[in-house]
Amino acid sequence: MTINIPYDEAIRRYRPLAERALPCTADPGEDLLQRYHPDYIADRCIQLTVGANAGDPCHRQLADVLQSDSRIDEADLAASPEVETDVLVIGGGGAGCSAALEAARAGARVILATKLRLGDSNTVMAEGGIQASIEKDDTPQMHYDDTVKGASGQIDRTLAAQMVTDGPDVIRWLIQQGMQFDLDQYGDLLTRRAGGTSAPRVLYFRDYTGLEMMRVLREAVFNSDVEVWDYCPAVELLSDQSGHCAGAVLSSLKDYTYSLVKAKSVIVATGGIGRLHLNGFPTSNHFGAVGDGLVLAYRLGAKLRDLDTFQYHPTGLAHPHHLGGTLITEGVRSAGAYLLNAASERFIDELRPRDHVAAAIIRECAEGRGVDAGHGQSGVWLDTPSIELRSPGIMEQRFPKLLHLGIKSGIDPRQQPMLIYPTLHYQNGGVIINRQGASTVPGLYCVGEVCGGVHGRNRLMGNSLLEIISFGRRAGTTAAKRVHGAGMRQKKVSLEHLRAFRRELMLAKMPLTQQSPLLFPEYAKFEKDSDYDGLRRNTRVADDG
Amino acid sequence: MDKAPVLNQVLLQPSSRVGADFDAWLWDVGGSGLEAALQEPGRIVDMVKEADLRGLGGSGFPTWVKWSAVAKQTGEKYLICNGNEDEPGTFKDRVLMEECPHQLIEGATIAAVACGIQRVVFYINPHLSGAIDAVRRALHQWQQSEWPERIAQATGVAIDYRVQPSSGHYIGGEETAAIESVEGKFPFPRAKPPYPTEHGVHGRPTLINNVETLSNLPHLLRNGVEWFRRQGLGEATGTKIYSLSGDVLRPGVYELPMGTPLSDLLYHYGEGMLVGKKLKAVFTGGPSNTILTPKDIDVPMDFESVAARRSALGTGAMIAVSQGTGIVKKVGEYVSFFASSSCGQCPSCKTGTYYMSQLLNRIGTGQGTRSDLDSLINLCKILPGSGRCHLVNGAVKVLDSSLYHFMDEYEQSLRGAPT
Repeated sequence: MTINIPYDEAIRRYRPLAERALPCTADPGEDLLQRYHPDYIADRCIQLTVGANAGDPCHRQLADVLQSDSRIDEADLAASPEVETDVLVIGGGGAGCSAALEAARAGARVILATKLRLGDSNTVMAEGGIQASIEKDDTPQMHYDDTVKGASGQIDRTLAAQMVTDGPDVIRWLIQQGMQFDLDQYGDLLTRRAGGTSAPRVLYFRDYTGLEMMRVLREAVFNSDVEVWDYCPAVELLSDQSGHCAGAVLSSLKDYTYSLVKAKSVIVATGGIGRLHLNGFPTSNHFGAVGDGLVLAYRLGAKLRDLDTFQYHPTGLAHPHHLGGTLITEGVRSAGAYLLNAASERFIDELRPRDHVAAAIIRECAEGRGVDAGHGQSGVWLDTPSIELRSPGIMEQRFPKLLHLGIKSGIDPRQQPMLIYPTLHYQNGGVIINRQGASTVPGLYCVGEVCGGVHGRNRLMGNSLLEIISFGRRAGTTAAKRVHGAGMRQKKVSLEHLRAFRRELMLAKMPLTQQSPLLFPEYAKFEKDSDYDGLRRNTRVADDG
Repeated sequence: MDKAPVLNQVLLQPSSRVGADFDAWLWDVGGSGLEAALQEPGRIVDMVKEADLRGLGGSGFPTWVKWSAVAKQTGEKYLICNGNEDEPGTFKDRVLMEECPHQLIEGATIAAVACGIQRVVFYINPHLSGAIDAVRRALHQWQQSEWPERIAQATGVAIDYRVQPSSGHYIGGEETAAIESVEGKFPFPRAKPPYPTEHGVHGRPTLINNVETLSNLPHLLRNGVEWFRRQGLGEATGTKIYSLSGDVLRPGVYELPMGTPLSDLLYHYGEGMLVGKKLKAVFTGGPSNTILTPKDIDVPMDFESVAARRSALGTGAMIAVSQGTGIVKKVGEYVSFFASSSCGQCPSCKTGTYYMSQLLNRIGTGQGTRSDLDSLINLCKILPGSGRCHLVNGAVKVLDSSLYHFMDEYEQSLRGAPT
């Protein structure tokens, strides 16, 4: 077992310095990813055996969830009310809200259902900012080139091109909604450089850009005609006779009842899977990020992609233990903070793409140059005092959230480095979509982190906030248009697709012990003996019929 | 299980499932039944009677009765080969037409020879485009062959064949509605009598048989009555194609001996219920019949045995649902199908099926009251027999039997019922 340097000893060795050179020995080497990135851990993947992606590699934990039985049966829907709408949006983060807003503005009746409250999402976790090529020396082409280069292959170039082209208009739209960005003394938008990019392109509002974005989107939704159903996770999609998506079954966490919402278009914007804690990693993700949308779409027959690749954000807090996994924005590294090992040496160019930086941190710890924080957790230093030394006051002005995190941790980041370790941050793969957010199942649109292809196998900082608005708006508009398409009169809906999926599960001899979507991580606590607690436990009720 | 194979041995045997390939059809089973028919045309009706061949489109009516009624008439006569298959859960004729079109053409020809029919109409649901295409191509091959000429020489009657897509309405499968449709009108069922055998297409005697019924004839003629009777189990004769669907692991079409127990179909061929749930009910034949419940699992699937359980074999469609299925919504789905399929001719059917469907929808979505349930019960009493055809009866039967067996589910679905 590797022995790292104990925390107390390492912090004694640390000296704040404004400048530190990158040693020439810090060359990451070609096999850095293969040797240290969690995506390359042997046996982490299995082949899916059922569904549209049968035969494709998939992370084991995700495969378990995708190849599970449904939580519900038709009999559970007895006497459940049915509601009709034009567009149903599932998910109350940035992607869901922008989709709902645009669909409603296009004249559709819209219901937005969210598992918890509107805005309880990973959008609010996004700290660093949003990329858009608005500077005079920058172009969408450069943004595209950076995105493709950083993607480590497997990117859907059409989607990436669409996203970067939408960039400037997305910023305009957000400002029209009322979103604030940091400005210079002339009132121009400030930008900074993200890891793996060729130009300063990240717009930001302090270090809580996503929170500010969510603030305005939430207000906009509440002030629109969108009907918001909070505490209503979707537990299954509905299909029509052609197998197209025709609505969803929502489960109310308030009274534990089901509702059938029939919709002509459904937009799934449920985010990623961080709370599955793949490979035992901590996560920066929101409580509800357990892959619901992937499960629902997959069961209906939607094709997914790149289910074996996830982003581990280099700088998740590693100490104190109870805040493990909490995100520290890449903006800190953009502003010049170094990464140091226990010997206070830099070991990688901090602005390389995230997958390389994360792998380098893991390497340092694996090879005994990390800091041992106890509880089996090790990490390296994020040298925050260095930027404060160079630009006194920068922390207070630009990273108030980090300062606040410091207060919670009992560490003043202006004086002391923060101990960090990669944290499970983002699902690179997901549902295959086209430029309008349409999945391979007619009537089903997917936007945001639940989708794959936009970022390939590695996402650049600031591209996720851009993606959710770019494709969210597109899907909203397209889903609303579909409502008026030919043959769109309300059809008969059912759970027929479940039958087909269950048949596949049985024929593949899959164990039918687990049910999905999970809705919440297994450690979620509910009132004992509440109906919902019973549902959550994922135990199959004995069939006594 | 049985030692000798019994699955797909006659109509769906590999030598029959050759598609529109006349040579492949003639290679093995094809042609010999027709040869036998041409040898002794006068004996065919008797053979059909002795074999106890039934109307396999749902009625179970003895085929020979219709045949002899038509055979004794003179002048121009019609045969409508009924391929309008449209009801939920039935998908056997599609397979027979798509995969065995020559078997059907030969069967129809034997019927025409037996009854002295000059005009044969293949009346096919337009939604079954593959079936229409296969029958058209097979018919073209047939007409190019020497057979039509041989038949004309042997019987003195030249048979005219045509394929006519139906209107695609469910009701168009009803005998008299099919006649209206073949005449180019909307498929409104006619009042009976007069029966089609006397007064059918353009007032001429008309024989109407289902695709499966006719497809049996080449085999019956080729192998003889004794062989045919041996194919069934117990008193039943021949085979039956069952359309199995619902919550079973392996849904599909299964040709089995007539009288095969339901349990064999569900658990041996269908390989049991999905995800280990128990059987709750089986909607049979349409689904316009009395629901079968797990206690009926041993029923031999022939017309008499199923009737003895107060249900009906119908088309041989078996929609098996598990404990995971809500009966109210399922029945609501079927009644809604009948409501939208009503031709609207008879006010009791038009409004009755619609109203039943609305009430079921209210109850199924938790909006129903006690008086809604009482209304449903009343409708089940007053509607049967009030229409020209059997559509309204079928809708009532499935509803009434669901009320009988699953009243507790209806009660629990009422507004304000304790959950």
